[in-house]
Amino acid sequence: MYCTIYIEDPVTDHPRTREILDRFPRASRVACHRYGEVFNPKAQDFRLQKHHPALILAHKHERRVLPAPAGYGIGDGRAYYFSHLLNCLYDCRYCFLQGMYRSAHHVLFVNYEDFQSDIGRLLEGAGGTDCWFFSGYDCDSLALDPVTGFTGAFLPFFAGHPRARIELRTKSTQVRGLLRRKPLANAVIAFSFTPEEIHRSLEHGVPAVGRRLDALVRLHQAGWPVGLRFDPLIYREDFRQQYRRLFRQIFTRIDGSRLHSVSLGTFRLPRAYFRNIARLYPDEPLFAGAFTERDGMLSCQHALEQDLTGFCTGELLRYIPASRLFPCAAAA
Amino acid sequence: MIYIVVALPAEARPLIARYGLRDRPAGTAFPVYRNAGMALTVSGPGKIAAAAAAACLGSGGPATGTPAWLNIGVAGHATRAIGSGVIANRITDTATGTNWYPPQLLDHAISSGSLRTVDAAEIGYPDDTLYDMEASGFYPTACRFSTAELVQCFKVVSDNRTTPASGITARLCERLLDGQLASIDRLVRRLTDMARDYNAWHAPHPELDRLAGCWHFSVTQQHRLRELARRWTALAPGQPLWDAELENRRNAAEVLQCLEHRLAAIGF
Repeated sequence: MYCTIYIEDPVTDHPRTREILDRFPRASRVACHRYGEVFNPKAQDFRLQKHHPALILAHKHERRVLPAPAGYGIGDGRAYYFSHLLNCLYDCRYCFLQGMYRSAHHVLFVNYEDFQSDIGRLLEGAGGTDCWFFSGYDCDSLALDPVTGFTGAFLPFFAGHPRARIELRTKSTQVRGLLRRKPLANAVIAFSFTPEEIHRSLEHGVPAVGRRLDALVRLHQAGWPVGLRFDPLIYREDFRQQYRRLFRQIFTRIDGSRLHSVSLGTFRLPRAYFRNIARLYPDEPLFAGAFTERDGMLSCQHALEQDLTGFCTGELLRYIPASRLFPCAAAA
Repeated sequence: MIYIVVALPAEARPLIARYGLRDRPAGTAFPVYRNAGMALTVSGPGKIAAAAAAACLGSGGPATGTPAWLNIGVAGHATRAIGSGVIANRITDTATGTNWYPPQLLDHAISSGSLRTVDAAEIGYPDDTLYDMEASGFYPTACRFSTAELVQCFKVVSDNRTTPASGITARLCERLLDGQLASIDRLVRRLTDMARDYNAWHAPHPELDRLAGCWHFSVTQQHRLRELARRWTALAPGQPLWDAELENRRNAAEVLQCLEHRLAAIGF
């Protein structure tokens, strides 16, 4: 899977580094002082690298757990996010990571114990308030789980901190590890979906909608709290048929009233990221429409956006109670 | 297009023969040998010479498109077998301690390893790394003309602890390079393919020149025109920009407005 693995000097002897290197005995190993030497230089092409990303094993020194962006939360309590991994196995054309990073390599911060200490400190400071921790902001939480051992390290930690809640956001079907565990009431497995047509044209390498749905149902049946994420909602002329079909496909398999949460948000990107991605994929129709800018974010025209959000909200409320629906603030 | 920088005439000769390159006097400080898809220059030894030769080649490059770059030459290593070929996955300039990491997206049948560029021939081989005298001059310079994925260094081991550098002759260099032509061929093909893909993704709309020839576009208008042409290609692939409606526009502003209307009609 990885032909080249870069290893930051400070993590050379970390047990997680050794474990991962053992999984890829044939990969070339390249030592580096700081992951930024490999990940950040200019004159790199994300699109070329995406065909053959390397793995970078690194140490996250600071700013490990951050307040979640506005509108990212689900329900009450404080919301934070943390990224043990930068970049994603999948290649979704709408993903903001393509515009944010210069490199498509996967950066894995192996010092999980430091993330957990930071989370512990935040919980102590929260004085009994519930806190949400989102793990799938800069990566897919589960897609690389067999390599990263992320759930194996973090779920036992959250089992011991019932006031802390974790969202594992994914498009993956890597749920075997979860199915082997006792479900946790404070861990939500949130699956992202777009309609089949959009999946086929924009979500390269992502498991088909039906397979993701199978994974979700298996987790649900095993007792895990599961959620649905329709973020981004993508505007198409026939979006009504497409989203109606998707919701029907999902809710014939799962009882909406038993879902933990459903959230939705429209496609939007900061201007700079949009420009970077359009440069990478100049021939991609998604970036050729008439976008409008509001507060530094580019999105499709407000009326179309409202039409899309309004329709999807109405359709979803046919299947789920309103108390479970969380529109992203930017889309509200 | 691929640009190759070598230090020595002896390193160049097998490549000139293999690719049928012809001496094309370019009026530059470095000799350049070319065929339709390749240009090779001989820099002379040392990182400054390599940087200068790469800059010379890059600045006299093709009018359009991003080239691939390859630095080929001999290098020393403590233990690697004489004649083995290695692609550099890390380049260190010993004098400054600066590191570069050429992205490894290519043929993994070729072994990769770290490479140190030194100012004088290294005969002690203290570390488990290749030693050369050019890569740290070549690599950052070539990256100014291309994207890092398309810039690589390929070295053939010429000396090690049991076969010292003092025994290197022009004849040996030639023989060593000759022995790695199959690997070099593979690298050249893969880099050229990647450069072709990259250039196809970023190619300007083929009708832009025609439009720019018919109306005067200010610099700002040129940017808008390019962006509109990009969107047109994405939303109406294969459809020409130029049509009778456009032909009747009196100035660049009207052309841009016409294109904007046309795109708006396509919708989101």
